[in-house]
Amino acid sequence: MKILIAVKQVAALDEDFEIRADEKDVDEDFLLYDLNEWDDFSLEEAMKIKESSDSEVEVVVVSIGPDRVDESLRKCLAKGADRAIRVWDDSIEGSDAIAIGKILAAVAKKEAPDLVFAGVQSSDHSYASTGISTAAYLNWPHAAVVADFKYQPGASQAVVRRELEGGMLQEVEINCPAVLTIQLGINKPRYASLRGIKQAAAKPIEELSLADVGLSTGDVGAGNSMSRVRRMYIPEKGRAEMIEGSLAEQAAKIIQIINEFKGA
Amino acid sequence: MNVLNMKRGKACRKPFDMGMPAKATDLVRLAIKAGDPYCAAAVHNIATGRDKRRLEALMFDKRRNTLLLARWEHTPASVLEAIANSSAGNGDSGVVIRLDKNPNATAKALSQLYVGQADVRQLNSDFTVLIAQHLHSPVSVLASIVQLSEDEQSLKAVSRNPAASAEVLSVMLERMANSKIIGVLYKNLAENPSTSTELLDFIYAKGDEYVRAAVIGHARCSQAVIDESVSDKDVKIMRKLAVNARVSSETLVNLAASHDVAVRCGVASNVASPEVLVMRLLLDDSCLVRRAIAARLDLTAASINALANDKDSWVRQWLARNPRIPRKVLERLSVDFEVDVRRAVARNTCCPVGLLKALAKDQSAWVRSAVAYQHKSPKVVMEALATDNNIDVLSGVANNPHTPQMILQDLAASPELDIRRGVILNKYATRKTLLPLLEDPYYLHRLMLVGSVRLKGKDKWSLRDDPDFQVRFMVFRWMASRLCESAVR
Repeated sequence: MKILIAVKQVAALDEDFEIRADEKDVDEDFLLYDLNEWDDFSLEEAMKIKESSDSEVEVVVVSIGPDRVDESLRKCLAKGADRAIRVWDDSIEGSDAIAIGKILAAVAKKEAPDLVFAGVQSSDHSYASTGISTAAYLNWPHAAVVADFKYQPGASQAVVRRELEGGMLQEVEINCPAVLTIQLGINKPRYASLRGIKQAAAKPIEELSLADVGLSTGDVGAGNSMSRVRRMYIPEKGRAEMIEGSLAEQAAKIIQIINEFKGA
Repeated sequence: MNVLNMKRGKACRKPFDMGMPAKATDLVRLAIKAGDPYCAAAVHNIATGRDKRRLEALMFDKRRNTLLLARWEHTPASVLEAIANSSAGNGDSGVVIRLDKNPNATAKALSQLYVGQADVRQLNSDFTVLIAQHLHSPVSVLASIVQLSEDEQSLKAVSRNPAASAEVLSVMLERMANSKIIGVLYKNLAENPSTSTELLDFIYAKGDEYVRAAVIGHARCSQAVIDESVSDKDVKIMRKLAVNARVSSETLVNLAASHDVAVRCGVASNVASPEVLVMRLLLDDSCLVRRAIAARLDLTAASINALANDKDSWVRQWLARNPRIPRKVLERLSVDFEVDVRRAVARNTCCPVGLLKALAKDQSAWVRSAVAYQHKSPKVVMEALATDNNIDVLSGVANNPHTPQMILQDLAASPELDIRRGVILNKYATRKTLLPLLEDPYYLHRLMLVGSVRLKGKDKWSLRDDPDFQVRFMVFRWMASRLCESAVR
């Protein structure tokens, strides 16, 4: 069987950063890149299936992005993924999560996996819709915010527990192939071994163009997306007051503020 | 897909061909060859001439790298100075703000930024505030801010900065005597350790009750001010007096009668409190007061017996940790129904071995882990605890100096991070035990091993091409320091 995992290299912000001149994103110099935290859990869930299975299970990671994304894909390879695919074309720049879902669905059609995993959301843009839009383009069943997963490789159904509001879980039976978005805490992701990292450095990363997955520039990019970023900015700061004075005085003022809020 | 599209090993860091460098110049050239800004930063302070310029080009050629190094808390001081001195540092507000905030920035770098950024400072007073509050800011720069700045936030920042000298603080007080922020300055100066006794006397006379309380709590407060404040009935001042060892017994007796629990707690913990007063406070209604007494190192037998029977478990817990407690009392506390009291006995530095052997069989893993961490626990106890399946207990076993090497070697292969870290932290773990941990998947463990005294130089040097930049930085920095030491010899 085969599990396809959609992963993303996300950007983390420094405390002091600058917005790009076009006001549509943060200046890249101020961004630190790493694998999306949710995707670590997706990969681990796939690795658990692979390692506990008697039959062969292939774990393939896929990401949409420029060259720098290879670093995150290699991290996945170091943790045990069998193959890594990166899809890129400059025309993809500016695509929204739905357009990215279209590309991932095209890769899934080409790879024909039994399951597709994605993180519930990415830590930088937080749309939480890439996995779901992938399922929509594939016309496959999907389950979002999966906190527990039971599946026998080769089975036509899986049982998932979805995390709901108020600490509730919803147990769902789902037909396969399916797309699942995996929640944090479903497992304990491993660290890549040094040997794994060294071996991953020598493994190939398959670079696919839009044409390789049957798409064209007319399918992607800001112009072909359903939503576009107009502006990114730091909102005006709200009312804040520095509490001054000696430590005892500051403590007394904090107690006063708390009491005022409590109506005491 | 085209075969040419199969990309291989771009992110792979090829191991350097060179063995361990014998000279500083060899190491510097190796760092240049590696092309890694973090390795370059690690050896920057031992490089000279053209090599140094090449390292700086490597570190600062991209704004992104300069920003990263200017912000990173481990960036060596010499690199921060070079950034401050470079055109990148002087012309880029993004870089300047990171340097100003970096706790490693040296007095020289901050001075360069202050002098070189006059134009930027006029536009943005935040830069001056950051320099005014930096602990490494030179006194000359702080004096300049105090004399020239009109910015209230910058002046307030200097008043809080312990790096400011007594003279600088005195000049500021004189200059701002009639300003609207003088009240805030009094408060900040009353808590600044650099404030002189004379200034504190002046502030005490001028300030409100918060200022007076802060002055009394200051290490340089004059005896005259303390004596004067004894009659003050403000509870904030009484709390400061209660913990002050320079207060007379008579005053402490008076304070012990206060209705305020914090005042009585202060007296209970004050080393100057006479025995008779401590005995009286043993009967205090507040368990907070009795807890403070239980932590005293001068308890009498009668006090100890009273506290051992206290209904508050925290009182018994504090007593169980007290190294002056006799064995019989510890034995009694070692069978206390509260887990934390029994754990406190196991953590007591004077706990007898016999009690530790008994506590090693305690039903609570929390108690057994305290025995495992206790350095007095003998080898036989460690051998028994090594069969435990609790992570906290095994982490303690891994840390303990009496754990046999065979056990440590088993624990070094544990799937649990905390247990493996315990082995790395164990000063008695041998090279043979530690060697497999050089391959530990967790980068912090490899980083810690660079500082190990048990490993040989060649072991540490094997991490020179580690996938983690922090480990590589530490290896190069360790090697730079080693080569410098051998050159001095």
